Amino acid sequence: MTTGISTQTPPWLKKRLVANDVLGLTLKTLSEGRVHTVCGSSLCPNLNECFSNGQATFLLLGNICTRGCAFCSVEKRRIPRPVNADEPSEVLAAVKKMNIRYAVLTSVTRDDFEDGGAGRFADTIRLIRNYSEEIKIEALVPDFRGDRKAVETVLDAGPDVFAHNIETVERLYPAVRPGANYRRSLSLLRSAKDMDPGQLTKSSIMTGLGEDDDDLGLAMEDLRSAGCDILTIGQYLKPGKDNIDVVRYVTPREFESYKKKALELGFRYVASGPFVRSSYKAEKAYFECHKTQSHKSQVKFLTCDLVSCDL
Amino acid sequence: MTEVKLPPIAEGVEKVSVSYWHRAVGESVNEGEDLVELVTDKATFNLPAPASGKLKEVLVSEGDEAKVGQVLAKIE
Repeated sequence: MTTGISTQTPPWLKKRLVANDVLGLTLKTLSEGRVHTVCGSSLCPNLNECFSNGQATFLLLGNICTRGCAFCSVEKRRIPRPVNADEPSEVLAAVKKMNIRYAVLTSVTRDDFEDGGAGRFADTIRLIRNYSEEIKIEALVPDFRGDRKAVETVLDAGPDVFAHNIETVERLYPAVRPGANYRRSLSLLRSAKDMDPGQLTKSSIMTGLGEDDDDLGLAMEDLRSAGCDILTIGQYLKPGKDNIDVVRYVTPREFESYKKKALELGFRYVASGPFVRSSYKAEKAYFECHKTQSHKSQVKFLTCDLVSCDL
Repeated sequence: MTEVKLPPIAEGVEKVSVSYWHRAVGESVNEGEDLVELVTDKATFNLPAPASGKLKEVLVSEGDEAKVGQVLAKIE
């Protein structure tokens, strides 16, 4: 039996726990409905922090995935359960209760669906939009098997940020994302930008899986070539005993150098640090990009005020 | 008397290991200061003191495990 306890983590993988009323409300809201969060399904180490700030990332289309990525703890099955028809309205109910101002919607991969679940993203985005124009929405989508029509479906609903994570460097795809394709993921981001050049796009890379600086540099360049605006880089942490091992722990200094490199390549916002996750403080990236849009001269200053500095 | 309880950390993480008490019994602590260090598979967490006062009692020793919701210490 594993206790889930180890003393192997390096000293910089340290966080403060919070116990406040908001944490209680978040847990209560999420336990009442049938909505899932990626925070819970991925055993995220930021859960306590985000939930105590009233933030969560909603996981659409159930909590069972048709892919078997080696890094992910979400349950896998070839034919998952039918989806909950009330999911969009249940997500909206949680958004209301938690008073969420920046909603991140993501999903499991549903290769068993003709549209890959794009319609579910669109429905949920529209429902939140109809409730409030003020709430910003980020859609963090699966690869939709490269289906441009699915991208169009999501974009038509008008997300403020269109995100798709490449997760790792090209060389490690066979080991880390065996059911996915690096080039296809890049094309997905490219097609979103081509369809709407004004659309903010975002991607995320996990480090510590065996990539080297050259691999990482190439991935950043590829993302920039795909028009990607926002990049997040964080440490991969093994969620369960069946997942791929951490090859190494990247130091905070290295995360700083990745950030510098990414900014030089022209990303509009970069978050890079051990605990950075795709959706961690996602609203900050969005709002900083909008500031930089109206104050071009401040780009350098603003993009240096990064998530990693808080950690 | 304020109880120091272990808050939820991550879904599926029900247990942690208490690795270090930043204060000994009888010592003072201010609200918000790190009180106890806890270790899980993914990371190390510091739990700040929920109130100012003297650390009256430590209920989980270093090296022992604690469950979410469990009272770890009392502050008076």
